[in-house]
Amino acid sequence: MPMTEHMPSIASIVLLTMGGPEPLLVQHFRQRVCALDVYDLPEADLTNVRGLLIGMHCDQRQLQRTQTRLTEFVVHGGRVAVCGQIAHPFLPGLSRFTPLQNYCLEDLIVYELAPHPVWNGVVLDDLIYRRGVVGFYGRGFHIPLAGAVVVNGLGLTRLPLDFVYRLGRGEVLVHGGNDLWGYVADSTSAHRLTPQLLDWMECV
Amino acid sequence: MNRLSRIGILESGASYHTFALEDPRIASFFARQIYLPTLCAADLEDLDALVIADRLHPGLLRRQTATLLAFANQGRTLVVLGEVEAHTWLPGVDWEARPTNFWWWLEGTDPGVRQRSPDHPLWQFVTLPDVTWHYHGFFRPPGGSTPLVALEEDGHEVGQLLYEDSISTGGRLVVTTLDPIYHHGSNFMPAATRFLENLLRWLQCELADNRHG
Repeated sequence: MPMTEHMPSIASIVLLTMGGPEPLLVQHFRQRVCALDVYDLPEADLTNVRGLLIGMHCDQRQLQRTQTRLTEFVVHGGRVAVCGQIAHPFLPGLSRFTPLQNYCLEDLIVYELAPHPVWNGVVLDDLIYRRGVVGFYGRGFHIPLAGAVVVNGLGLTRLPLDFVYRLGRGEVLVHGGNDLWGYVADSTSAHRLTPQLLDWMECV
Repeated sequence: MNRLSRIGILESGASYHTFALEDPRIASFFARQIYLPTLCAADLEDLDALVIADRLHPGLLRRQTATLLAFANQGRTLVVLGEVEAHTWLPGVDWEARPTNFWWWLEGTDPGVRQRSPDHPLWQFVTLPDVTWHYHGFFRPPGGSTPLVALEEDGHEVGQLLYEDSISTGGRLVVTTLDPIYHHGSNFMPAATRFLENLLRWLQCELADNRHG
């Protein structure tokens, strides 16, 4: 039985949700983004969808069961943004998250390693410090696939925090921390992440 | 499997559920881990208590209300952690959301978190600092419930962040707005880890006392 009584009319970008109230992202970008319950993904028509946003609260076991569908979506030219910490890899090229142990402030500093349009104009301090609190942006890393471009690294050894890689005709963007669209209402340059992420998905 | 306890936990495959339940400090409390999308009453038959992990899909939980309340009505304990829209499926509880202030501790402001029922056995395990972190809202529990952690705003109590309800079912409901599994399993916020561990220690001791008492 679908979680939503009527499947939503699909926008060009789909945010997978775990129920709950309407996401802030959809409230801000209603014309471009629609919410889709993660348990309704197997039956959803993704024909006109360019981008899938998969956040940190999603049921990754369910995503793993949907791996074939997700992989076909990317291979045929779609773009997927994966945020959070991966426990159950659900796309080729994703690996399990490695948490930092006994971390200190220096370990949580974010360094740009390669330019990318999603982070264009974003001041890294606005990601590292949120109202003075450190740690939202990343507290560990994933090992990227060979050939991936690491955009931002964490700490002195520049552990791979943000990276992108090609999969067939599409592309996967991985951010190993809290959802990039969680900054949508921030008053700092971090709010640029969301529209730039949507632009990146739609420019395929 | 821990043979001393018969506590189950309901989870739903978020990374923080998995990582928290891979941590032996947490996993050792549970006799069984149950995946919410496949929950059936038989999963709960031999359990004394069920912990409903925070941030489970509220729609799936609402579909399982009859099973969960039947479990409590059999004289057993249901521990309901935060961000599961408990007010939409638990009896007699209202919810009021609040904006999340995660920076209060940097500004030295009083978050308004207060201990209640200090003689309750929970407080032999949990400390007030364990539960003093950000919250997303508060409950107005059913009459006759035991308040454990209250929220004050401008010096007035507005509701509860943690309460025990031994009135609404034939068993016991322990309900909180806090979401410690998310934070512990995400490698974030030591107070949440302490709350989770100490809450589970209390629960395990309660069950042992009941069995031997």
